[in-house]
Amino acid sequence: MSKRFQDSVWRVLTTSTVVLSIVFLIAPLAVVTLLSFDSRTFLGPLPPPSLSIRWYIRFFSDEMILRGLRTSLLLATAVTFVATVACVAVAVTMMRTRFAGKKAISAFLLSPLVVPPVVLGLGILLYLSALGIVDGFTRLLCGHLIIAIPYVVRASLISLSGVNPIYAEAAMSLGATERAAFWTVTLPLARSGIVAGAILSFAVSMDDVAVSMFLTDAQTVTLPVVLVSAMRANFDLTIAAASVLFMGIIAILMVVLDRTVGITNVFKNGS
Amino acid sequence: MPMRSFVARLALSVPAAAIYLGLFTLPLAVLFVESLRPFVPGFIGGSRDAGLTLSNYQNLLSGAFSAALATTLKLGLAASLAGVALALPLAHICARSNSRRVETMLIGFLILLMFLGVLVRAYALQLFLGSVGPLRPLINVLGIATTNRAYIEFTVCAGLLHYVLPMSVLTLIGSLRSIHSSLHECAQSLGASAWMAYATITLPLCAPAILTAFLFSFTFSLSAFVIPMILGCGRVNFVSTLVYTRFSEIANYPSGAAISISLLALSLTAVAVLSTAVRRWTSLRSHT
Repeated sequence: MSKRFQDSVWRVLTTSTVVLSIVFLIAPLAVVTLLSFDSRTFLGPLPPPSLSIRWYIRFFSDEMILRGLRTSLLLATAVTFVATVACVAVAVTMMRTRFAGKKAISAFLLSPLVVPPVVLGLGILLYLSALGIVDGFTRLLCGHLIIAIPYVVRASLISLSGVNPIYAEAAMSLGATERAAFWTVTLPLARSGIVAGAILSFAVSMDDVAVSMFLTDAQTVTLPVVLVSAMRANFDLTIAAASVLFMGIIAILMVVLDRTVGITNVFKNGS
Repeated sequence: MPMRSFVARLALSVPAAAIYLGLFTLPLAVLFVESLRPFVPGFIGGSRDAGLTLSNYQNLLSGAFSAALATTLKLGLAASLAGVALALPLAHICARSNSRRVETMLIGFLILLMFLGVLVRAYALQLFLGSVGPLRPLINVLGIATTNRAYIEFTVCAGLLHYVLPMSVLTLIGSLRSIHSSLHECAQSLGASAWMAYATITLPLCAPAILTAFLFSFTFSLSAFVIPMILGCGRVNFVSTLVYTRFSEIANYPSGAAISISLLALSLTAVAVLSTAVRRWTSLRSHT
């Protein structure tokens, strides 16, 4: 075989792999979007004969789903707030202090990432029951906090230690107190990374199923858990509508994030 | 004054320390103790005053656990290998594309997928690969029953792949970009064909990144829960779904805890082995 022939075979092979991969990634989402506008009340073959927005109307009039949505939004906001405050505080300590074992501590702070979420879910359930805490929202808050916090820790550590201390020193030499220098110089410079971490933790909390399944109670159920039980119960395209709405929100969030912080740059630099 | 600032700094780390101690270390310790307690039907949690026992672990050796473990390892390995293999050409395009537009769109799309989470994607794949999806003609022609266990395993694997592929591409891009394109061109001008140049220049140079991508993919697959639960239709069980059924269906907490601890040990071993391999490989490369 000539080299030229080999090269063209190679090019055809790689190009078709890329195309197939992208189709594999996009097609399921396209099918969900299409089916969410299906006017039929049963699951029929594609394409749907006519379109309607009935499933979207169902979504916004379903009591369980709306309650789940409210719980999820409240929960994700609370988790993001607590995690961000705690992480920025601990990152400030880590940034300013030099001590042996700093690396070990950062590794420990990231370690919940390697623990399977079901393990954390069951562990927290048993632990909180032993303490007598049975309130659904408190339990969910505890569970979501520990799965979301490593992302915020990582973002805060990277972005705060990435700020050159010279700027804060310059501010202090011009008369600012250490505290003022932190609030007016260091923190604004580290802002974009911290915001990215906060948004990631919000998304983690909104998406979680594995931990929440163990911690919900009859009154407090998160949106993903409602959707999972709906998926297992019977055929219902309200979930497709929910998925499309979710995709839309995420897409808008990403565009905003990219305009303000430049999220694609974070990944482009190979981190 | 320095003393005061030291105390103030220490105070700043209290909230995070409390969260990690109270919600991470202690629950795992409680879980471990629970896994050693004898199971008494009808109680939440094992018996407190019957002493500790290893019987929960012994019971794992027979029965559902080993089957779930085998399925988890098999499908996780298949999805991770396929994910890394398919990610390489995609990452190559992202890293080497001459058009900034294509590059930004591709990377943006992959990040969008990562943010989308697992639930939406598992559901999308269920519709896509199900009996009325666009693959319906193909499924009918091949005479595949969508309730067939092999087909369900394939669906679960596809679900894992859908998650693992974008993650691997994003992991590989940085490394591929740092390889100077002239190296590849050099090899080709010296007579190597494109695939030879790829196999002997590009692949060895980004081997640590490939291993890292595999590490992320495999550990994700080991602990995956939503994907096997939704796509597995209750027929294909992963270790993680087994933990949940022990809790929700038979309320055997000690057994669930023992499975959890085993799953944790498995994950930690995989992370330790693979990250050591990455480190070895990286240091090997920097010496030569």
